[in-house]
Amino acid sequence: MTLTAYLGFALALFGIGLYGLLQRRSLVAMLIAVELMLAAVSVNVIALTRLQGRSAGMGQVVVLVLVGVAAAETAIALSLFVAIQRAAHNIDVEKLSELKR
Amino acid sequence: MTVTGMVSAASAGVALLGALGAVGFRNIFHNILCFALAMLGVAGVFLGLGADFVAVVFVLVYVGAVAIAMVYAVMLSQPLDQAPAPRRIGKIAAAVVIAATFALALWRVMRGAWWPGLGWGPAQGAAEVGRHFLTDYVLAFELVSVLLVVAMMGAVMVARRTTEGGGRW
Repeated sequence: MTLTAYLGFALALFGIGLYGLLQRRSLVAMLIAVELMLAAVSVNVIALTRLQGRSAGMGQVVVLVLVGVAAAETAIALSLFVAIQRAAHNIDVEKLSELKR
Repeated sequence: MTVTGMVSAASAGVALLGALGAVGFRNIFHNILCFALAMLGVAGVFLGLGADFVAVVFVLVYVGAVAIAMVYAVMLSQPLDQAPAPRRIGKIAAAVVIAATFALALWRVMRGAWWPGLGWGPAQGAAEVGRHFLTDYVLAFELVSVLLVVAMMGAVMVARRTTEGGGRW
């Protein structure tokens, strides 16, 4: 696969993630969509640093840090969802509108 | 097409199919399974790019940890036996339009950019990544470990069930 093919693949993955983030109503489903977008970014970083004259190892370091941050984010987000469910008995974003009132 | 190229292309196809399922299905449990499939595909793409260690880490973290944690969160929060709310065509159409416009704009930027006509450089394995992490990027390494500890403790504190039942949250 060429560089353009990899970038196009990452673009498609990012687009699907963006669509899911906008369309889904469950908080867990929105988190899945965000993770898809982060994975697309990782593909871009790995592909672009693999080019001649770049350090492939450095790109992998960046992606590993990104994975660590994403894992921390997921842990916090999922525990927040459980807490929200306990308080509001719902994790549907269209019904969590108490601040509007 | 070389074997590596075929593996990459097949993995990319699997990843895109999994991603479509992860946002398309209505059952949240199917979404999580498709998400794990998509992450396996992305790991295959990393294998094709010569990033073996990152591919293994992706499988370990996303398929092994994140997907399982999501299943637990769904079991604790979302009643699967209730019928999902009906879909709204307007919202779906708006999401499709926004996502497609954004992707198209990015594609045009990408095609218009100047890419130096470089081939692929040498792949670097886990040894090189480990050397980077413990010499040039040791601060990032330590920061991520501290962040993970703090996030873990924060997650436990947030999701903890309080027995006194004082505040609402």
